[in-house]
Amino acid sequence: MSAGEKKMLTLTETTCGTLLNELQIIWDEVGESDAEKDIMLLELERECLEVYRRKVDQANKCRAQLRQAIADAEAELAAICSSIGEPPVHIRQSEQSTGSLKAELRAILPQIEEMRKRKSDRKNQFIEVNGEIQSIKNEIYGGGCASKDAAVNETDLSLRKLEELHIELQALQTEKCERLKHVHEYLNYLYLGCSVLGLDFKQTVSEIHPRLGEPEGKDISNGTIEQLRTAIQRMQEVKTQRMQQLQDLASSLLELWNLMDTPIEEQQIFQKVTCNIAASEDEITEPGMLSADFINHVKAEVSRLEELKVSKMKELVFKKKGELEDICRKTHLIPESDNAVDLAIEAVESGAVDASCVLEQIELQISKVREEALNRKDILEKVEKWMAACDEESWLEEYNRDDNRYSAVRGAHLVLKRAEKARVLVNKLPAMVETLASKTTTWEKENGVYFTYDGVRLLSMLEDYMTLRQEKELERKKQRDQKKLQGQLLTEQEALYGSKPSPMKNQSAKKGTRLSCGGAAAATGRRLSLGGNMLQTPRHDMPPPAKATPVTRNAKKSQRTTHDSLKDDGFQTLSSGRRGLDLAGLPVNQQSREIEFPSPMMRKPFSPISSTDSSRSNATNILGDINQKHNEMLQKMLTSNNSTTPFTTPSKTIPTAEAENIIMPQAASTRSTTLPIPMHLAMTPMQKPVSSATLQMAAITPAKAAEEEIEYSFEEKRAGFVLPRSHLVNLMMQV
Amino acid sequence: MASAPPPSTGRELLSPPTDGISNLRFSNHSDHLLVSSWDKSVRLYDASANALRGEFMHGGAVLDCCFHDDTSGFSASADHTVRRLVFNYNKEDVLGRHDGPVRCVEYSYATGQVITGSWDKTLKCWDPRSSSGQDRSVGTYTQPERVYSMSVVGNRLVVATAGRHVNVYDLRNMSQPEQRRESSLKYQTRCVRCYPNGTGYALSSVEGRVAMEFFDLSETGQSKKYAFKCHRKSEAGRDIVYPVNAIAFHPIYGTFATGGCDGYVNVWDGNNKKRLYQYTKYPTSIAAVSFSRDGRLLAVASSYTYEEGDKAHEPDAIFVRSVNEVEVKPKPKMLPNPAS
Repeated sequence: MSAGEKKMLTLTETTCGTLLNELQIIWDEVGESDAEKDIMLLELERECLEVYRRKVDQANKCRAQLRQAIADAEAELAAICSSIGEPPVHIRQSEQSTGSLKAELRAILPQIEEMRKRKSDRKNQFIEVNGEIQSIKNEIYGGGCASKDAAVNETDLSLRKLEELHIELQALQTEKCERLKHVHEYLNYLYLGCSVLGLDFKQTVSEIHPRLGEPEGKDISNGTIEQLRTAIQRMQEVKTQRMQQLQDLASSLLELWNLMDTPIEEQQIFQKVTCNIAASEDEITEPGMLSADFINHVKAEVSRLEELKVSKMKELVFKKKGELEDICRKTHLIPESDNAVDLAIEAVESGAVDASCVLEQIELQISKVREEALNRKDILEKVEKWMAACDEESWLEEYNRDDNRYSAVRGAHLVLKRAEKARVLVNKLPAMVETLASKTTTWEKENGVYFTYDGVRLLSMLEDYMTLRQEKELERKKQRDQKKLQGQLLTEQEALYGSKPSPMKNQSAKKGTRLSCGGAAAATGRRLSLGGNMLQTPRHDMPPPAKATPVTRNAKKSQRTTHDSLKDDGFQTLSSGRRGLDLAGLPVNQQSREIEFPSPMMRKPFSPISSTDSSRSNATNILGDINQKHNEMLQKMLTSNNSTTPFTTPSKTIPTAEAENIIMPQAASTRSTTLPIPMHLAMTPMQKPVSSATLQMAAITPAKAAEEEIEYSFEEKRAGFVLPRSHLVNLMMQV
Repeated sequence: MASAPPPSTGRELLSPPTDGISNLRFSNHSDHLLVSSWDKSVRLYDASANALRGEFMHGGAVLDCCFHDDTSGFSASADHTVRRLVFNYNKEDVLGRHDGPVRCVEYSYATGQVITGSWDKTLKCWDPRSSSGQDRSVGTYTQPERVYSMSVVGNRLVVATAGRHVNVYDLRNMSQPEQRRESSLKYQTRCVRCYPNGTGYALSSVEGRVAMEFFDLSETGQSKKYAFKCHRKSEAGRDIVYPVNAIAFHPIYGTFATGGCDGYVNVWDGNNKKRLYQYTKYPTSIAAVSFSRDGRLLAVASSYTYEEGDKAHEPDAIFVRSVNEVEVKPKPKMLPNPAS
């Protein structure tokens, strides 16, 4: 005890002693009895004790409180430790601890504080993770099971639990990722499908979930995925269905094209349809390929083709029907089921029956009819002949009745010929009918049916014809008898009145003349039309054929040319008179002999030969001998002329010729027109070697005569080309 | 001479040869025109463009030329040579030589051979494909006289010589003529051309006449032949007769044009024996005529042919005229006139 406390004690003892002393004094003064004094002192003593007791209680209570606080703190600490899952850091070392309670409490409080902080931290972590998990779960399972787990279980905030939560979160996150991927896949698939089907992708998707269409924030809930799946399934169903439809259409398209030979250009438009005909569902990826519009488009094409086909089929049916009728008509059969065919065609037109069916039917009929026709052909041909003969017969009758039949109209000779033939034919008719009848009966026996011709039995036709013929025969006989009677009457008359009129004789005379001139006219007319049109065109450059020359001129010419041929002039042999000889049938030899006459003059180009020729011939006609001399003179002049200059130019004219031309220009022109063709034609064939040899002789003579007279072309002359001497020698050798 | 002459003579080609034109021919593939001339040149013209495309000079006058294909041709020269001309490279080489001036050259598409006729009285066949080193002559065939004109159709070759001989060969057997004939005309042969249908040939003489002949030797075949006068002038009753230098058949209609020293070109219808057309008179003699491959163009060489010796004459010119169908299409026969 320190001096201070002692002092205080002493101080309090002093104060109590003093106070008691004071009381003693007071009491003594007051004179209190001792009893009183005792009581009073007892009371004082009791009261003091009371105060002590109270204070001790109070201290005791405080100590208990402290102990309680420490225990509480320790409990809390333990609780926190256990919840965090940490070993209790602060296991009570109270036994060891010797510190006061207050110190103990003071030591434990910061620990608690720290642990509390740690716990709240941990709790925050938990809340965070939980929140995330919750949000993902929300996304996945929808908002239904929300915020149930939001409150964190405070009792277990251990790291392990946190780990578990983290694992859960991760799992959820991967799931979310996966789902997103799925959704994307589905959406992709949907997009492709929509494009193929021609649907609006955005609309389809937003029907499933309004947010699916947006690029971000896709919904991945179970419901959405399920919906997507069903949507895809639905789409696939639609796609399959449409594909089926399209492929059906495509196959019918192909069929129709094939059937109708549709041009490639038309096919090209639908090529992409038909190329997918065997494609599986996945292979059809072209946008809009299966859209309703496109399918409708194809459908329209198919129906158009279908219509076309129907109309073509109809056409075909009509054509076939026509063919059938044609064959029937040709073979003179009555088409047996004409009505049936008509009915069938009506049915086709109304669309009740398939045209192909009817077509087949008609085809069958056609083949049947064809077969029948083949069977009947033999007899039919005979019938045809018979018919023709009958026609001829009736024509002949008509013709025989025509009084003017022998008049010389154009083509009368043809009619005459026809009549002649017809008579022969008519004579053959009975035999023809007989064979036909016998053939027909055998045919009928073989086939067991009547042979009909245009629906009439042929045998009855033949019979009718025979009876008719017999009737006619009778009639004719009657007529003949009548005529005979008339003749008799006439002779009787003649005996009575003199000579009988003979119209027959007159007629025949007339007929004769007419015929001859008519025939001539016809003949010339025909010839003219065959080759003589040259004659009609009055031209000088084209020689007319000989036959077309008028007779008068011909005569004149032949006269003239006989004159000519007497003379010593090779050119004259060209004249038409030669032709006359030809026609008269003189041997070729003679012709060649005529040609043989050596030409007195080597004819040079550009000397107007025909005019000199003609002038000469004219001259002989008119002037006779004088002119011949004149001619010789002229020839001499020409040859001299030739020897000096190689050419006589076309513009140069020979004065003598000119003079003579004035006399007979007309004759000259006619000569020139009749000059050439037949002459040349007679020359070329060269059937006789003799004639050709002589011709060669004629051609070569000048060469023999003089070197100067070798012919040269203009080019040779210009080039100064001269044949070497050997050539001449060769020529001589050849001759 | 019924038809009134039309006004135009056709387009005249620029830069014509400077001396007499011996022949001209259209290509079978284009409107190119090959022209041989006495000025020792062969010229190639583009007739539709009126442009000179090439020129080849020779050692002597060129008497004939023909196309091989569109890029090459052959020429026959008075310097005894036969040449091959390649237009693209302006190159030429000598196929071979004759012993005399070479008068005519023809190319046979059927045999792929070149056939030349010369005044040395031979015909030679050449193979233009063999290399230049070796002898390209395939055969030499003696003719009775100097060759004046030749024509090829299919496998037939018709050779007309001096002395009015006409030899008809089958190109597959050249050892001897298939037919030996004499000209139906009495005067020197100027030109011979086969019908495009291969049934015969037309032959013209110096004396204004053309004979239409047929290969068929049967009576019916020979009955069809005839001759007619043309290229004559009737003046005051006198006939002036001009040589017929050229004949050209229309490739489509089979009608033909003749050109004479009178400067006229006439178009004839041989089947109907009619003259279809007469073109306006050209300045001087017609030396050659040729129809283009489609018959739409007619080339006419108006060039003095020395028929009257050396004298002053009009300049040589080539006219290309477009052919109206009316001028060359056969007209249906007229009905016989009952009046005659």
